[in-house]
Amino acid sequence: MTYSIIARCHRTGRLGIGTTTTSLACGRRNESVRPNVGISKSQAMYVRAHDPRALNLLALGFTPSAVMRVVEEHDDNFDYRQTGIIDREGNAIAHTGANCGKWAGHKVGPYYAAFGNWLSGPAVVDGLVDGFLAETDLPLEDRLLLALEGGRKAGGQKTEKNPKAERSAWLRVVDRQDYPEIDLRIDMHTNTVAELRLLLQEFRLYQAYYRERCRNPQEAITEEAFVAQLAASTREPCSSPH
Amino acid sequence: MSYGIIARCPRTGRLGLGMASYSLAVGLYCSDTARANTGVSITMGTPNPGNNALAIRLFAQGFPSAQVLAELIGNDPNSDYRQIGVVDREGKAVAHTGAKTRPWSGHRIGEGYVAFGDMLAGENVLDAIVQGYLADPATELEERLLTALEAGRNAGGQVGSSGRVPERSAVLVVHGIFDYSDWDLRVDKHEKAVDELRRCHEEFKLFAAYYVERSRNPREAIPQREFSDMLAANRNRKNP
Repeated sequence: MTYSIIARCHRTGRLGIGTTTTSLACGRRNESVRPNVGISKSQAMYVRAHDPRALNLLALGFTPSAVMRVVEEHDDNFDYRQTGIIDREGNAIAHTGANCGKWAGHKVGPYYAAFGNWLSGPAVVDGLVDGFLAETDLPLEDRLLLALEGGRKAGGQKTEKNPKAERSAWLRVVDRQDYPEIDLRIDMHTNTVAELRLLLQEFRLYQAYYRERCRNPQEAITEEAFVAQLAASTREPCSSPH
Repeated sequence: MSYGIIARCPRTGRLGLGMASYSLAVGLYCSDTARANTGVSITMGTPNPGNNALAIRLFAQGFPSAQVLAELIGNDPNSDYRQIGVVDREGKAVAHTGAKTRPWSGHRIGEGYVAFGDMLAGENVLDAIVQGYLADPATELEERLLTALEAGRNAGGQVGSSGRVPERSAVLVVHGIFDYSDWDLRVDKHEKAVDELRRCHEEFKLFAAYYVERSRNPREAIPQREFSDMLAANRNRKNP
């Protein structure tokens, strides 16, 4: 009941995840992403402890395929799990257990793995990949979101009763710092992917201001003043030279 | 830019944080805020997002909360602009509110908790957060933290240069004994973020045990759709 993409930006080395699912608050699983180490994202009937352990193994120097082997060896229910793992160099691997519902599957390419379960069909994973590969010059978060939108357009979690069964969505991108550069969540909504797009658009307006305010608080204007400037610039779109 | 509370549950040792803010996606600054059996810290005012992971590492080296706080201040040329709360695994709580945080700003330290905020309507907001937190110590930590946020909001929340500003984002995080959170809910952009956090929280409570159980026993798990239908049927039975 989930579809995801994990990727490393081939230009910058940033690592990121985009995911959307029927379950609530999928972004609570921030243990799945570790800067300068990699990403391990388990889903379907996932076990929370598997991702941090996989990342510990990656950090020790194991390759993604070796990590996947260890995970498999110690899991009696591996056929119920779906997992994607990518390391800091972009080596990616994915596993879709035989009991992950219909339709379930994955596609792995250079610097990415796209995977989903209980999907309306294989077109959803193709949609993820097509979206991700559509605009390779964009920042990673945009590419991940295009991927989710591609999956959504291809049917996503659609069922007969519920054309938009996704209830939560998450976009997280890390660079070199311990903390994420982008970490946006829709925890409970009826149109999550569209809502995530709106949230990213809104956050983009603030992103540089927020970053600069943390670094140089002495020179920061108040947020109310910033919001007023934003409102003024939307009212007069032509007055700005940019 | 926010108000909230960090705390250690005196019954269970769980560590958590609840925060609300006029800024968007305040949860963005809460990565690594807590680690099981280690400690909890947060740096707000003007956030320094690198502090959370540093504090966790210092806790893990054996530093008590006072020393962690001293190191965070010493490491930051802009500590005047920061508001820092630190609670270690024994529940020792310390805090710092920099002289240049936006008024009214301050903190309250109690046994196992720090309530803090800037741009507050007044001191009473902090008193309300503490009262909310202490109202029902027998409940789970996530309930106590959320009740504290609601009390802070009801007491006036944050005030900007031209009056009351709305809570646009909120976050609730609790760590128990695992490498991952027990509870982690966010509202990144909403007109009434604290109310929306409550709505998510109540819904998530219905599913939390199901999510844990299906991972442990996938062979016996029912599909989530079926579980949702059961919940809906129960609701209809209670409110026909």
